[in-house]
Amino acid sequence: MACEPNRARLLCMLSLTFGFFIVEVVVSRMTSSLSMLSDSFHMLSDVIALVVALVAVRFAEKTQATNKNTFGWIRAEVMGALVNAVFLTALCFTIVLEAVERFTEPHEIESPVVVAGVGAAGLLVNLLGLCLFHGHAGGGHGHSHGGHSHGSKNKRGKTSKNSKAGNGSSGEETNNLVGNHNSPGDGRPRNEISCKGSTEVQMNGNTHYEEMDPDHDSSSQLNMRGVFLHVLGDALGSVIVVVNAVIFTFVWQPCIKGEKCMNPCVNSHSADHYHDNNTVVDLHVGPTVPTMKFAGPCWVLYLDPTLCIIMVSILLYTTYPLLKESALILLQTVPKQINMHRLNERLLSLDGVLAIHELHIWQLAGSRIIATAHIKCHDPTSYMEVAKRIKDLFHNEGIHATTIQPEFVTFSSESRDSLCELSCRTQCAPKLCCGAADKQNTGSDKKAAVASNLEVISETSEAAGAVVQVCPGSEAEVRIAREVESSL
Amino acid sequence: MLPLSIKDDEYKPTKYNLLLKLSGWFRSILADKTSRNLFFFLCLNLSFAFVELTYGIWSNSLGLISDSFHMFFDCTALLAGLAASVISRWRSNDSFSYGYVRAEVLAGFVNGLFLIFTAFFIFSEGVERALEPPDVHHERLLPVSVAGLLVNLVGIFAFQHGGHGHSHGEGDHGHSHSLFNGSTSHGHSHGGHHHHDKHADWHSHGGHEEPHYNDELQHLPGKGSSKQILQGVLLHIIADTLGSVGVIISALLMQKYDLMIADPICSMLIAILIGVSVVPLLKESIGILMQRTPFSLDHALPECYQRVQQLQGVYNLQEPHFWTLCTDVYIGTLKLLVAPDADTRWILSQTHHIFTQAGVRQLYVQIDTAAM
Repeated sequence: MACEPNRARLLCMLSLTFGFFIVEVVVSRMTSSLSMLSDSFHMLSDVIALVVALVAVRFAEKTQATNKNTFGWIRAEVMGALVNAVFLTALCFTIVLEAVERFTEPHEIESPVVVAGVGAAGLLVNLLGLCLFHGHAGGGHGHSHGGHSHGSKNKRGKTSKNSKAGNGSSGEETNNLVGNHNSPGDGRPRNEISCKGSTEVQMNGNTHYEEMDPDHDSSSQLNMRGVFLHVLGDALGSVIVVVNAVIFTFVWQPCIKGEKCMNPCVNSHSADHYHDNNTVVDLHVGPTVPTMKFAGPCWVLYLDPTLCIIMVSILLYTTYPLLKESALILLQTVPKQINMHRLNERLLSLDGVLAIHELHIWQLAGSRIIATAHIKCHDPTSYMEVAKRIKDLFHNEGIHATTIQPEFVTFSSESRDSLCELSCRTQCAPKLCCGAADKQNTGSDKKAAVASNLEVISETSEAAGAVVQVCPGSEAEVRIAREVESSL
Repeated sequence: MLPLSIKDDEYKPTKYNLLLKLSGWFRSILADKTSRNLFFFLCLNLSFAFVELTYGIWSNSLGLISDSFHMFFDCTALLAGLAASVISRWRSNDSFSYGYVRAEVLAGFVNGLFLIFTAFFIFSEGVERALEPPDVHHERLLPVSVAGLLVNLVGIFAFQHGGHGHSHGEGDHGHSHSLFNGSTSHGHSHGGHHHHDKHADWHSHGGHEEPHYNDELQHLPGKGSSKQILQGVLLHIIADTLGSVGVIISALLMQKYDLMIADPICSMLIAILIGVSVVPLLKESIGILMQRTPFSLDHALPECYQRVQQLQGVYNLQEPHFWTLCTDVYIGTLKLLVAPDADTRWILSQTHHIFTQAGVRQLYVQIDTAAM
């Protein structure tokens, strides 16, 4: 199972990080260091990111269609990636805020040795996490999909299609795609299967189980990338903590208790006086303290916020592509490797196809791409012949879940090939939120042609509706007869 | 040959193009009522944040400065909502065949996530402060929190009114998406380590389609869902106001009775409140983004399937997929297995009509003929 290594890694990392979080909280209580406490909360956010990724992976395993989620839960991984990316961005903002606060009010580190120790331990944990997830985030990995056999599904001519498909899809994750093509897309084999009379082929049934592996990989990669970036951010944070603590121990000369010294860097109320045995000695009272010591170089205190800001910029730079990619998938973009124009032209070049409307291609998750279109043909028989070739065309592009709606030329609209017969009724044309504006112009002159259909249909629908409500089964024949006579 | 058109756009320097774009965006923001409200609320928040920042720098209060930064953080969420409302009106193109309408769902989701993160952050700071109570400078607390409460109340009135009586004459086509963002600032202790409550970011579907079209069938679903969303928005703002009221109370407690523990407890309660109130928003956006069957169609769909299967010639209905593109826009695909001698045209139009009655206007029906 492709998911098992992911889950195992996530669980392992999760337990490690959670354990470390507990350790940090305990240490912070013992040393009463506030910065350690805040760092432990960063660890907690890491834990939450891992939990999110784990939940997404578990959900995405259920690729069976359910009643409510007809596509299965496979999109959960894209969502998990987005959630992680957003959390990371929010975390970066918080760190920036804290860094700015530190700039205005620098703090010394109390007990830097302990901090260095804990920071080093945290770094180890994070490096381990990086190793665990690096292979995943790098892209592609060894799952052999080529040899999938899919049981009872019809596999006629699959191997030839595999090679074609391999060339058709450009670039990414070719090993995944080869496996993907093994899965019987809904279109082509279904006709053959229907010949055998088994009409119960549900695409979202067993086939998804086998399809799951390749899709799981490429979409789970997105998820794992999110986790990887989170762990990377944490690792950088630990590096900063360690570097800061080490420099602090070696460079900083602190004010030892009992000695008269002042800390000039901290711009607090103690800058102009200091406490000497519970009395306040005002520093501005002339040069009366020749043996005054000053705490170590000030720039050390500003090192921490500076490094934080550098780390934030690195993190944001690496998170942005992940954020963009998952957001684009969720926005129903056409996948990068598909060229709509070219696809359109190729579809139009098939004979029998008069026009194409409402072509929509979007990515469900990973390499599962879904396309829908209206194809205008002369009549049902020509449609049947052309349907297979259309499906093949889509298969070559790597799109296996297609729904093609046929439209037939009505007698009155010979000249209007480019208009969509069934795009909408007149009222709903402007309500379509996608490109409806360009259709509006065509909608108005279509009104005349569609109106006649409309009246007919509304008449039948009322009849149908009324009859269905009254008695679902028995008067079916009467209703059908009425509808047939009034349809054309 | 004389030029047929004077399109020297490509010869213009890019600066003009940028200005044009910005002014175009401005106009589109101001055109729609709800995004206009959002824009003004954003300006209000921004100005409040700047005032707080200058006051904090002038009086050298770190807490006020950090609070103003939190407010800026709030404003970025408002900005994201505004950007989404502008983006979702862009035309569709080659890469975005459905247009950009999903941007508002995504923005709602992202803002919900930001809210949860803010709640988590506030909670953690509350815990930190409970464990290690710092000195409290609450002199400046009250005026700031009162001011924040006022800003919030402005938001309530602006969006409550804008919700119900939304513009009927505006919007040429499509939808107006309004994203509400209500934020509050309330002062907290620790020299005023203020926290920002949250944002609620909702998208409400401007129901201004109604006056354009007389089709009563589509009237009801649109109205119902936007009403629900607006209710959610109001709940959010009310929770916000309660939050600032709570802060004011805790400030008073601290001043009068010196009850330092009130502040962390208050922030923890507020964080929990934020978390709880964000859950419905997240559930809805997650449902939409996961391509779940639309909630409002849950009951109507099985009946539609039955009706379709009773059409003459239809053997079976397979692989129905229905999902929400954006608020109230549903898209569906399904496959029908029909008899070889069936009248496909009639079946197609009937199916379309059945589902249009249910509210699904974009439907793709694939007809597969069963061989004899």
